[in-house]
Amino acid sequence: MILTGLINGIIMGGILSLPVLGVAVVYGITGIPNFAIGLIGVFGGFVTWYFLSYNLVLALIVGVGVCFPIGYFLQKLLLTPISNKGGDAILFFVITISLGFVFEGLTRAIFPRPSISIALPYLGSFTVGGVTVEVIKLLALVFALSTLTAIRLLEIHTRPGQSWQATSRNLKLAKLVGVNTDRVYAVAHGIGCSLACIGAIFWGSLYNLNVLSGWELGFLGFIIAVVGGIGNIWGGMLSALLMGLVLSFSGYFLDGNWQSVLLYAIVITVLIVSPRGILGSERAL
Amino acid sequence: MPDVILEVSGLVTNYGQVTALKNISFKVFENEIIGIVGPNGSGKTTLLETIAGTLRNKEGVISFLGRRIDGLSVRERRRMGLMLVPQERYIFPMMQVRKNLEVSGVLVSPKRVNHLIDYVYSLFPALKERVTQSAHTLSGGQQKMLAVGIGIVSDARLLLIDEPSIGLAPKLVTRLFSNLSQIRQETGKALFLAEQNVKILRIADRIIGLEGGEIKFVEKSSNLDEKTLQDLYMGQ
Repeated sequence: MILTGLINGIIMGGILSLPVLGVAVVYGITGIPNFAIGLIGVFGGFVTWYFLSYNLVLALIVGVGVCFPIGYFLQKLLLTPISNKGGDAILFFVITISLGFVFEGLTRAIFPRPSISIALPYLGSFTVGGVTVEVIKLLALVFALSTLTAIRLLEIHTRPGQSWQATSRNLKLAKLVGVNTDRVYAVAHGIGCSLACIGAIFWGSLYNLNVLSGWELGFLGFIIAVVGGIGNIWGGMLSALLMGLVLSFSGYFLDGNWQSVLLYAIVITVLIVSPRGILGSERAL
Repeated sequence: MPDVILEVSGLVTNYGQVTALKNISFKVFENEIIGIVGPNGSGKTTLLETIAGTLRNKEGVISFLGRRIDGLSVRERRRMGLMLVPQERYIFPMMQVRKNLEVSGVLVSPKRVNHLIDYVYSLFPALKERVTQSAHTLSGGQQKMLAVGIGIVSDARLLLIDEPSIGLAPKLVTRLFSNLSQIRQETGKALFLAEQNVKILRIADRIIGLEGGEIKFVEKSSNLDEKTLQDLYMGQ
């Protein structure tokens, strides 16, 4: 039971880590919490599902590819101008929640089914200690870890990556030295929405993806990112894995309602003990 | 007569309903060090921020290298060769010293960035010894050196530095001012320094005295003494 719980927890944590990374990237760089990110990801998930009947690769490219410009232009044309006019947290909360309802409505209006299952190809399985694990289920975790490593390497070794890091550390100075901070924001938002979409695709391949899953992915992603340390992508990853394990093990003893009580009690406790999250916030604006 | 690189005329800047700068006019020449002095609230920071573009002027004209810039963004002004080192939050915390310098040359070719970083290390050997150290763990004096280094690597022709000496021990102020004078001599840059320290008289060619958002005097440093500046700081 311990091994099964551990494996299920890691799988769940891997899937949760993708929207968490999306939220961590967007909020860590722009300072704007986008509560619509899960809905945008689910919209991309539905687009992927629609094109699956043609070709898997095409479906993934179109689905994820749709989410990048949505995030990019959302930031460039809406959120950055509002931020430049001094928009505060409440304003962004209302605007991004409204955007969430817009994408929920769009998904309902465009696609014929409110709930879908995304069939990804079978990639084989392996056995650990008598427990059989499908490779596809671990792919989300592998993808999340690869993305995280790639982001860190880009930050250290490339000019755009340094501009990205500088923008999150000191926005005013980044502008003063000549970093195109508006573009950094827009690209970060595009990447964040794409990651949420990939999270939604994995979610849809293991469970059912319905229109409302986006709220759950977005809010849970945000909460887990805060617990990890907002803007700290390693913290977000660790936090997602811990939350996955809590959900997995508590599933043996508690029903769904009590699982939520336990999960959020842990969240509150962690934030009381360590308000900057498990690994501390990297955001320094 | 050296060329004018910055010309400000009839500048008015508001902070909400309050007029922070009133009818400011002056010129800055190539390779010149100008000191802007005045008490707290006299408008020194507002003047620097208006020239850099982080604040917008309500009236007046700002020209840099013969081109009007007051309608341009901060980044466009940066591209033209203007750079402001702010009074607060002048480094990238939680980034290594070397990365702070590299990212400051975002508009400069990588080869030239490396050359400029070497120059910064020659001016401030303490930074060279701490290239991989996270910038926020440096001492106050080292952070100021890094801030000046950031300005150098930006490769600007005119560096606006807001209160470089604030919070530094007297010995460090003397050393930093000597470094600034050396930078002017070796790079040909013009420096525009907002200051409250009377030692500015030792390195500045001219001093602009500000009070209540208005220019009280523009004088050669050789015509001024420390008491005149102290009286200005005290509002006398």
